[in-house]
Amino acid sequence: MNKQAQHRQHHINLLPGEAAPTILVPGDPGRVKLFAEQMDEAWKVAEKREYITYTGKKDGVLISCTSCGLGPSPTAIGVEELIRIGAKNIIRVGTCGALQPFMKAGDIIIATGAVRGERCAEEFISIDYPAIADYRIVRASIDACERLGLTYHLGLVRTHDAFYLESPWAHGDYKARLQKWVDLGVLAVENECATMLVIASMQGVRAGTILLSSDPIFGERENDPDLEKHKRDLVRVGIETAKILHKKGLD
Amino acid sequence: MEKQHHIQLLPSDIGETVFLPGDVSRAKIIADHFDSAELVVSSRQYNTFTGMYKGVKVSVTSTGIGGAAAAIAIEELVKIGAKNLIRIGTGGMIQTWLPRPAVLVITGAVRGDGTTREYFPPEFPALADFHMVESMLASAEELEIEVHAGYEWSHDAFYAGSTLSKLDIMEIEKPWIDAGVLIVSQEASTVFTLATARKCRGGVILASAGCHQYPDESATPEEMTTAISNATRISLETAVKLHQLDHGS
Repeated sequence: MNKQAQHRQHHINLLPGEAAPTILVPGDPGRVKLFAEQMDEAWKVAEKREYITYTGKKDGVLISCTSCGLGPSPTAIGVEELIRIGAKNIIRVGTCGALQPFMKAGDIIIATGAVRGERCAEEFISIDYPAIADYRIVRASIDACERLGLTYHLGLVRTHDAFYLESPWAHGDYKARLQKWVDLGVLAVENECATMLVIASMQGVRAGTILLSSDPIFGERENDPDLEKHKRDLVRVGIETAKILHKKGLD
Repeated sequence: MEKQHHIQLLPSDIGETVFLPGDVSRAKIIADHFDSAELVVSSRQYNTFTGMYKGVKVSVTSTGIGGAAAAIAIEELVKIGAKNLIRIGTGGMIQTWLPRPAVLVITGAVRGDGTTREYFPPEFPALADFHMVESMLASAEELEIEVHAGYEWSHDAFYAGSTLSKLDIMEIEKPWIDAGVLIVSQEASTVFTLATARKCRGGVILASAGCHQYPDESATPEEMTTAISNATRISLETAVKLHQLDHGS
């Protein structure tokens, strides 16, 4: 049920029409600038708290990018408000810790669904309800990676709340904590995907998640010398995905 | 290798794609859609036919009703080499806008059942394999069969969540109706989570006669026969597509 509100949304500070039908959602407000740099033209439409929105055009397609901060709580607010101003496709473009040993820094992960290890979405609906990416966004993301010649992995990710329990910088034996998810084939761990997928799908809005393996946890750990390039690649995949969705008439 | 405990099958007995109806008698109905098929074994409610369709070896094993029985079949089928598990079933719809009858491609499931709760932590999602969903939707389009894609509420107690229930099912089902869940049935959550954990593909396609909100306005038995046949035809083409994906054409 899309309630189109004519007033500015409380946190993202946007009116209907100020954002494109397809919105890329990084956690980091700084990444919105990477988006703006790669568009043919882009203009800032709002900035409030961690929510910065740019709207722009790439090859004639209108696309927006709204940062939603780190973790489920601000993501839930951002996604809900984007839906209220008429979003059709909401696509997270974020970083994550890769869990499978065959994954390398710089690889792209396209989430088909997410383990609901966070608590925020449970306030909306029972844990029984699945966090699943819309298959049309998954397909567009795959095609975008192939078009850009980037290595990608398709599968489940784990969303959780406490970064310092499950990351390369975490307390204690974080690998032991993560092992059961590795065994279940989960590709990566991050903090926002499940929240976004649940809130969007229960309102009939398409959502997806494209992640950059920035901190492999079980593979060779090393500082990625090309991290900045890889972050730009991630945003390029998001933009290309939005273009593909547009071409298919899905915005 | 010895025959599997319940399904009584050996690796050579099945194709990589196995169709999983709940109804024992539906195994033969599905097998009748193959180019060739033979009954391999009948054990408890597990009836297995194997045959060929467009040059691809395919099988059908009836599972009986519910997640518990389906999980046994899936575990044993995977041990003898099944790669693609496709449930072809029925259910009761909970969205009034859906046609009656309808064919539904299930993309995910609400985990309201007990089997998957015993297997997996509650936060582990029940979702169909992506290639399975794409192949089913593409097959439906090629066959010009109308399908709708969405979620199933999987649960255990038929007489708690069906039109024959004595409970207030509209109250029980309200959270799922509000969240856009399409249909109520019993096995999708088991098929999806077990397939994911066992690193194979899980898919579910359902035919439904009617909607819980309109218990007296269901499709006729003849219309349902066609809907189940259509779900079977889509599943067979899906098996061919998955074979091409894995082995080339």
